[in-house]
Amino acid sequence: MASLAAAQVQEVRSITRIERIGAHSHIRGLGLDDSLEPRAVSQGMVGQKMARKAAGIVLQMIREGKIAGRAVLLAGQPGTGKTAIAMGLAQALGPDTPFTSMAGSEIYSLEMSKTEALTQAIRKSIGIRIKEESEIIEGEVVEVVVDRSAGGGGAGAARVGRLTLKTTDMETNYDMGAKMVDSMLKEKVQAGDVITIDKATGKINKLGRSFARARDYDATGQQARFVQCPEGELQKRKEVVHTVTLHEVDVINSRTHGFLALFSGDTGEIKSEVREQINSKVAEWREEGKAEMIPGVLFIDEAHMLDIECFSFLNRALESETAPVVIMATNRGITRIRGTTYRSPHGIPLDLLDRAIIVPTTPYDHHDLREILNISLRCCETPTSGDAVRPLRLEML
Amino acid sequence: MKRKPCLIESFDDSNSFEKRLKAAFRSKAAETTSKMHKNTIWYKSVQSAEKSCLKQDKIKKIHYKFEDAKEMVEEYNVDTQVLLRRAWKVKTELGGDGKWDVEIGDPIPDATPHVETAEIFESNDQPIVTRRNTRINLEWRIRNLPYPIETYSISANNEEKCIIIRTTNKKYYKKLQVPELMRLNLPIEQANIQFSHQYNTLIIVYKKPQQLLDMDKDWYEELKQVKPVKDIPNECQTQ
Repeated sequence: MASLAAAQVQEVRSITRIERIGAHSHIRGLGLDDSLEPRAVSQGMVGQKMARKAAGIVLQMIREGKIAGRAVLLAGQPGTGKTAIAMGLAQALGPDTPFTSMAGSEIYSLEMSKTEALTQAIRKSIGIRIKEESEIIEGEVVEVVVDRSAGGGGAGAARVGRLTLKTTDMETNYDMGAKMVDSMLKEKVQAGDVITIDKATGKINKLGRSFARARDYDATGQQARFVQCPEGELQKRKEVVHTVTLHEVDVINSRTHGFLALFSGDTGEIKSEVREQINSKVAEWREEGKAEMIPGVLFIDEAHMLDIECFSFLNRALESETAPVVIMATNRGITRIRGTTYRSPHGIPLDLLDRAIIVPTTPYDHHDLREILNISLRCCETPTSGDAVRPLRLEML
Repeated sequence: MKRKPCLIESFDDSNSFEKRLKAAFRSKAAETTSKMHKNTIWYKSVQSAEKSCLKQDKIKKIHYKFEDAKEMVEEYNVDTQVLLRRAWKVKTELGGDGKWDVEIGDPIPDATPHVETAEIFESNDQPIVTRRNTRINLEWRIRNLPYPIETYSISANNEEKCIIIRTTNKKYYKKLQVPELMRLNLPIEQANIQFSHQYNTLIIVYKKPQQLLDMDKDWYEELKQVKPVKDIPNECQTQ
């Protein structure tokens, strides 16, 4: 009986480790080679070679920081991989470049004005790399214990863990919340690893395995790097480089103070004075060489849902020196610009279209569709025979 | 073996000009060393800081606002003139409100624990350092340290300007900063350190040097010039 219960618990745990599958989970990049030529099937991407190559060039320009303040428009029929290309671009940019994804209709909220929503989205897409002194925990893992809080069992149950770390001089127990436990599992931290944890952000960095554990296994992976167990205190103050977005700085500086901070999860509108103050502060940091600005990417899906006010605001915002790359996607042909009676290609005013590089996507053929189906079925870990794929494919055409 | 009398010692003339000069010089020197602390950066910065005062029962609270946007709060016991608490608030690099960082006294209970910080913190049963100074001593209390007294070795380290606690069982290690001595530019003397252990608590005591005592006294006198705010909203007390 007891063993049965244990087996069940084991099963539940193993399920939570699998990531959820979405429509674009299988995309890991743009699938280009080093010379930006698209491979036929790579990193979850299939076909659409011209568009992918174009995205690759845009990607390279973003990496070199040469394209800030430009717009890219992905246009094509529904289901031709526009969002997939944007996701692939985000993956290829890596975690250090801010990538904000929003749908055009997201701006119609009663909580804040359209321009505020757009400004926040734009500021979320601009990163600042800044050196900050921060509390770092550095030590060798002695033990990681993960347990479920009482009354749990569902997927939403808060997991709590315990972590024991040591240096050559001391040993300390830490309590961890659910998020920390998750990132511990993700990093596959185990006893004998030497890790650093940024106490403010919770970022875990694996330095290697402790020399003391070098003999634990006969066969170790080639990547296994052995390091000394750290000395002295576990907690140190160190200068680390953080990447924060302008929006995050805005939020930190406009928080309601004191007790009320608990209840204001959403920040609502941010005063323009605060933004101006921060802009001048950032300019000061850049001049002193303390900070570096990273223009990121703002992706607006269903861009035809924006109205004329947003378009003119975007047009203006793109001209400022701290503008991200704006990538829009739309599946409309010539249609009415929202908020006017004018008709225009993609429902976007001509002055903004003139600023944009238009990347068209074309419908997939049978071949590509079969590949895509195979990839997403593999991603879902659903074994499907060739006979079953055919009707699925016909359905998609 | 009899020691030869030193010339000056044996010279027994109290009216000698030389001796009077020396005595005068010595007293002058003593006076200057006792006033030396007034020239430290620390003393000048607290002097120039914007101060406000609040008196509550037997506690005098002083709030300092420094030029570099730092804030400090001190709480004195009016009867004993002992500093009960000193806490700092420093703005973070990115702006926004910092947290109160307690230098001396019991930590301020956190009303909103771990709201914004990441979800890792020391367990409740781990050692905690608190400071509690007396009139003549600087004191550190480290709770939750169950090991017997032989385990600890405590040494002054003047290179890193701290007191280092080591344990023979390699369970605890801590560098204690001594900001009071750093502000006066005084070295940490091993001879002034004493420690005891009872009820799971390690108590480390450092005897305040004369200069520090002088400064504390002078500063308390100086604080009398800061007039306390009259109307304290009494009904506003929480709990």
